Amino acid sequence: MKKILPFLFLFALPLFSNAETADDILTKVLTKLNSVKDYKVSATIKANIPMIKILPNEATIYFKQKDKFKVESKGITILPKQGFTDINNFLAKKNYIAVINDTITTGGVKTYLMSVIPNSAGGEMILAKLWIDPERSVIMKSQITTKSNGTVTTSYTYGDQVKYGLPSKMVFEIDIKKFKLPKSVASDINKSSAEKKKKIGNKGTITITLTDYQVNKGLNDSIFK
Amino acid sequence: MLLKNTWNEFIKILSKPRSYLGVGALTLLIGIIIFAMKADGKSIISFVTASFEQTLTFNGHILNGYLIAFIILQMLIVHVPLLVALVTGDLIAGEAAMGTIRMLATKPISRTNIVLSKFIAGAAYTLFIIIWMGFLALFVSTALFGTGDVIVLNSDGLVILPEADVLWRFGAGFCVAFLSLLTVSSLSICLSAFAENSIGPIVATMSVIILFTIIGSLDVTVFDSIKPYLFTTHMVSWRSFFEDPVPWSTIRQSVIILVAHNVVLVAIAIVRFNKKDITS
Repeated sequence: MKKILPFLFLFALPLFSNAETADDILTKVLTKLNSVKDYKVSATIKANIPMIKILPNEATIYFKQKDKFKVESKGITILPKQGFTDINNFLAKKNYIAVINDTITTGGVKTYLMSVIPNSAGGEMILAKLWIDPERSVIMKSQITTKSNGTVTTSYTYGDQVKYGLPSKMVFEIDIKKFKLPKSVASDINKSSAEKKKKIGNKGTITITLTDYQVNKGLNDSIFK
Repeated sequence: MLLKNTWNEFIKILSKPRSYLGVGALTLLIGIIIFAMKADGKSIISFVTASFEQTLTFNGHILNGYLIAFIILQMLIVHVPLLVALVTGDLIAGEAAMGTIRMLATKPISRTNIVLSKFIAGAAYTLFIIIWMGFLALFVSTALFGTGDVIVLNSDGLVILPEADVLWRFGAGFCVAFLSLLTVSSLSICLSAFAENSIGPIVATMSVIILFTIIGSLDVTVFDSIKPYLFTTHMVSWRSFFEDPVPWSTIRQSVIILVAHNVVLVAIAIVRFNKKDITS
């Protein structure tokens, strides 16, 4: 047995050296995302938030590297404050420690669950949990905790733009515990105290379906003004 | 004879400077609100969206004419009753104070019809006030700020109504607002039948509105049983048209109560005026 062990170790060594680290996986993801210089996409935004009643709306989303982002819509649209460009910007700074926690199957896809912690305490981000598909180098799910906006969980579905790491559908799960109505409005004289104390949920979702991507076609800076 | 007398009453309203005071005050107030919105509208809007904006962003043309019309209606519906009472509270008591009521009573028209003609003339003035308010709030605001979806904040949260679904709500809202103000007009005419000078009914009308509004806003269970019967509770029911879904049963109930108030108040005024011993 003692004679076999060194051989086993020698055979196993290449396997260990080929195993990707969290940084390698994130670099691949970032490379894919950075291949997108700009894009324009049509979005259907559907918000299901307990304290907000809004019909599904159409919008056009514009993005240009590094962080130019604009939503154009005829009507009023609601989007989560974080989730579109935050991960890209955070990962691009390379000022983090990433650790693979587990291997989890999400939506039938085998993913690595990673915890990404910023090195400095000065930024907005506290912790990012990323579920990454190592085969396609895309983020399948993210859970970002920030100082001021709480935790936002986002699930991603990919279509024909997977080669750029651009999703075809995003589902944001939002914590609405912080939502408070101004007191002058909350004291609606037409509603009894029992009606006002109606229990509402703590979570809301915003589903964005993205179609007709126009990637790297060149967007003028004037669009973002 | 009723219509002829109503026309005469309406001319009397038009001939009094105080009738223009209300229209002027309304124009000035709406002008100030529109100016304030033009100058610093975004910070005013952030009052509505502030608690949501920690997590969400609102995109689109939020500060638009429809939203400003809604804000104007909400701000002024509390104050317009004073402008209405200023004119309608004077309709009977003013004649008593000037000594013209005896001459009016000698005309070949019943006392009931005199009160009814004053009620109709008061209603016409109230309608004019509402139409003027609607014109300034809706048309001037949309001309200056354009149109768009409307964000409405109520006790349940935010309701965002699409642009195409807004105009009928304003139309219906203005109709219910007119009914609310008509109740104020009927109340002041009713009180006017009991008074010999016009200040009394105007002050009494406003006192009743303030008292009922305070009772309505107090979150005390002992008042819960009387709140649904106070006309002030239903004066804000125009706002129900901006909820989704529209609470039709609540609106129907409000309309019934406001109409009932009008009928009862005018009936009291008729009875009182018929029994009135006119000595001035």
